[in-house]
Amino acid sequence: MGAAIAIAIILLIVGIAVGYVIYPTVNPKSSTSTSTPSLSETGSSLFYPLMTRWAANYSAATITAAATGSGTGQNSAILNLVNFGASDGYLTNASSDNVANFPAAISAQYIFYNIPGISTHLNLNGTVLADIYDGTITSWNDPMIAAANPSVTLPSDTIVPYARSDSSGDTFLFTSYVYMSTASWPYGAPSTHTFTTEDSHVTGATGNSGMVSGVEATKYSIGYIGVSYAAGAIAGGLQYAAVGDNLSISAAGGTNAANYITPTSGPTGTIAQDANLGLNQLNYATYGMAVSLILGGSWAGAVTLVAGGGGSNPTATSPNPYPLVNLEYLIIKLSPTSGTVVTGSNLAATVTFLQWAITTGNWAPGSIASDWIDQVGFLPLTAEVAGYDTQILASVSTS
Amino acid sequence: MSSDPPTRETGAPEPLPSPSSATSNPPPRRSAGALVGKIIPFLPALIPAAVIIAIAWTLVGATGFYNFGLGFFLPGSPSNPWGVGVEIVGSFLTAVPALLFSMLLGLGIAIASTTYLPGFLSKILDPFVDLLAGIPSVVYGIWAYLVLAPLLGTVINPWAVMHLSFIPGFAASINPPSPTTAGTGLPLAIIVLTLMALPITTLLIRDALRSIPKDLWESGLALGATRWEVMRKVGLRHGSRGIFSAVFLGFGRAIGETVAIAMVIGGGGGLPVNVYDTTNTMAAYMFGTLDSALVEPIIGKNLAELALVLLAITLAVNIAGRRLVSHLYAQEVPGL
Amino acid sequence: MATALPNSTATGQLDPADDLRAGDTVRVRLRTGFDRVLGYLLPLLFLVAIVPILDLLYSIGRIALPTMPLSVITSFGSYQAEDALGVTILSTFEMLGVATAIAVGLGVLGGIATAEFLSDEVAGWVRTSANLLAGMPSVIVGFFGFFALVLYLGWGAVFIAGAVTLSFFMMPYVFRTADIAFSSIPRPVREAAYGSGARPYQYILRVGLPIAIPQILTGVFLAMAIGLGETAPIILTVDPNVALPISLYSHSTYLTYLIYVGYESQPGSLPAILAFQAALLVVAIVVVLNIIVRFIAARYRKRLEGLYQ
Repeated sequence: MGAAIAIAIILLIVGIAVGYVIYPTVNPKSSTSTSTPSLSETGSSLFYPLMTRWAANYSAATITAAATGSGTGQNSAILNLVNFGASDGYLTNASSDNVANFPAAISAQYIFYNIPGISTHLNLNGTVLADIYDGTITSWNDPMIAAANPSVTLPSDTIVPYARSDSSGDTFLFTSYVYMSTASWPYGAPSTHTFTTEDSHVTGATGNSGMVSGVEATKYSIGYIGVSYAAGAIAGGLQYAAVGDNLSISAAGGTNAANYITPTSGPTGTIAQDANLGLNQLNYATYGMAVSLILGGSWAGAVTLVAGGGGSNPTATSPNPYPLVNLEYLIIKLSPTSGTVVTGSNLAATVTFLQWAITTGNWAPGSIASDWIDQVGFLPLTAEVAGYDTQILASVSTS
Repeated sequence: MSSDPPTRETGAPEPLPSPSSATSNPPPRRSAGALVGKIIPFLPALIPAAVIIAIAWTLVGATGFYNFGLGFFLPGSPSNPWGVGVEIVGSFLTAVPALLFSMLLGLGIAIASTTYLPGFLSKILDPFVDLLAGIPSVVYGIWAYLVLAPLLGTVINPWAVMHLSFIPGFAASINPPSPTTAGTGLPLAIIVLTLMALPITTLLIRDALRSIPKDLWESGLALGATRWEVMRKVGLRHGSRGIFSAVFLGFGRAIGETVAIAMVIGGGGGLPVNVYDTTNTMAAYMFGTLDSALVEPIIGKNLAELALVLLAITLAVNIAGRRLVSHLYAQEVPGL
Repeated sequence: MATALPNSTATGQLDPADDLRAGDTVRVRLRTGFDRVLGYLLPLLFLVAIVPILDLLYSIGRIALPTMPLSVITSFGSYQAEDALGVTILSTFEMLGVATAIAVGLGVLGGIATAEFLSDEVAGWVRTSANLLAGMPSVIVGFFGFFALVLYLGWGAVFIAGAVTLSFFMMPYVFRTADIAFSSIPRPVREAAYGSGARPYQYILRVGLPIAIPQILTGVFLAMAIGLGETAPIILTVDPNVALPISLYSHSTYLTYLIYVGYESQPGSLPAILAFQAALLVVAIVVVLNIIVRFIAARYRKRLEGLYQ
């Protein structure tokens, strides 16, 4: 008996030792682990698909990415638990936390729903969405929805709204949109904090993948999902909405079909393709990079959030911009506090990676947009944003 | 009790003499080294207590001594965003039915195993039930999400709505919509918790029933009672200590269960409007909200206070359970 | 029902009035019939326990097994923590190994100290504290690990924070088993050792441990099974890494992390499949550990009342 135990333990130890020895030959990355710095990223699940593609194609460092939600991304970056955090929302007290908001890509958010029998793009706007999520509108054939969709036969079933239960930049974008659309949004100013806890009876889901699987599993449900997960959602039978760009749509309806915009599936091409996403003539000088949604058009009832604290960019003009478009931010710690064990020695590697991200990661040499940006449905950064990023990087101290 | 490998159990110290060092130690030597030698061995024994104190202290510090007032215990709402009443109620709403079901099932299985099954069958089937105890909760969660949730959402819940809606609470609700086809919510959480508490209750009750002296059993049968009657009149009373322990232990396990519940409860914000609704429990809410907590520090204080409530409930259930059991059974049950 | 006969016993537990009497055959049949029906119904309750576990193994295995060997081998060199099954297995063993070392070190010391050196009253409190720690909800210990180790001590979300937090879960089980093992050593053996002039440490090392090792091993394996299945503390205290953790301060993945992260992914996608493969591995290892524990316990079953129930 004792012999059996001894043999088992010896086998275990030998097995682990052998594994350790053959590990470098099996894993091509580990042999360079002493020379290749190792970077870690966490945060926005919307940004995660792009981050993994970047990590797979960036050879100067080993990057580990995780999709934990924008709030965790912001927070882990501030606490120096990771090298950089990804967030869909701008961090407002960046200077006091010694971090920089570094826009790295342009993404968008879709509104997906699961209504058996309806495969068209329903017209929904901020007021209607606010009413759906706070329980004022309960069924799909509500007059407000019907008025915006006169040619669609809507079922009488109850709407099941899905919201993110983790701290989410997608929640921040969605709540920014509805908050700016209507004064009757009961859950306060836009934030990454979930509003499912506040007696709202909205079903919770974790991460964009949780939203997709939740909406897919629940008939007659609706949820806000990032563009990088749109392909999976569409493959799962969901349909996305045409979102209204006019914030002052009255409750009685009277909507103009042209005011409802479907997001284009961004093909590679010229900057002119950006026209549909409201990126022309963004006034960065006045509003800086602190934008939550890159909205365009005239906003009669627009609520301007704190300047520099995130908000719309009302001077952006273009015909029919899709409203739910945002900048993806990487939060980087500027002067790491002494005693940190993650970022300190790798700040140089982080800076190198970020420089790669806004050039090769966004713009492949000789073309406008790189494949990776394309694959996840994002748009590459505009020249102004890239210039702003270069300024940030120049000011980062690497000592 | 048998010397089976210990699982998560509580119980009072057995009132039997245990090996004590007082009579067998060599006479103490009066030197500094011997004094140190007496103190140092005590220290490792204090580690569990030290960890528990450290946990409580850390949580108290994390609350920042912020005062949330009585609204803390009320459901959260836009006007009372720090209310966690829903989570506290939700924990009990899931744990109490789960405990009830697992006690009934555990009783049934334990009685079947000790009384009605032939020995060889018991020996084969009992380890199966004990195996359930080892399955990690995240694996329960993924299985429940994959298999049970669609079953509940598409088959069982609609059936219940169609046939049982005369019972208060079993009718469907429109606003908020419940049940949904996703199947997550209270019923799924209760089923999962029952399965997780079942092996503990079964083990404790089974051991309690097995410890009945054989002559009690046989004399009952010899007097013409059926197996059920002997079990009911003799066995359950004799084993009631184990049954009591099973209640407290199972409840402690059920109310602290985190990951599996987080995966299946649906994370909705309000008090359940009917039996199918989604809600939240203390542990699941704490697990899911920590990332928000650091973004806004006040949420962190809120969570730490909720953690203290959960810690207090767990400690109270465990300590009270042991006290109650040892108090009720301080004297041996008089035998025949 | 039956009237008490003059010779019925005072305790009344088994009423001799229920004895067979002519004319009572209906009642007797009812009672025996009821008993027989229960004899068929109650064992069926076993199905409530057995069917779910079989279905669990089947559902997980159905998705996990087809590509399992390939996954382990080819996932080296992948760039997503979610895909790195091979790396995750090794990282899990590494973290579990360190956590076990800490838990065994502290737990065995503490258990032996409790059995040998404490008076009964103090030992009672200590055993209570070990039981309480064993019954702590995992999210509370995870919170403690995060606030105290990751933030306050400044370790960051690294390997050692996860390993130490895991050891908090595992230690009470080793503690209890060591305590019971040493307390169960027969009195004569103990007194003979001390009577021959042994110092406490000599008794422990030369007499106690050889006797107690099998039982302590059961506690160690049990603790390992528990440590392997913990999810919340890992997620709260460790950030993932695609490579094997090479220092105490590197990041690390864990098998249960794969499960939690991948369970909601698109069915058929790589993270979802890996979640099931990780689940299968965890269940398999836990079952094997439990079987080993049962095996050892059966061989060394002692018939003493335990101090823990």
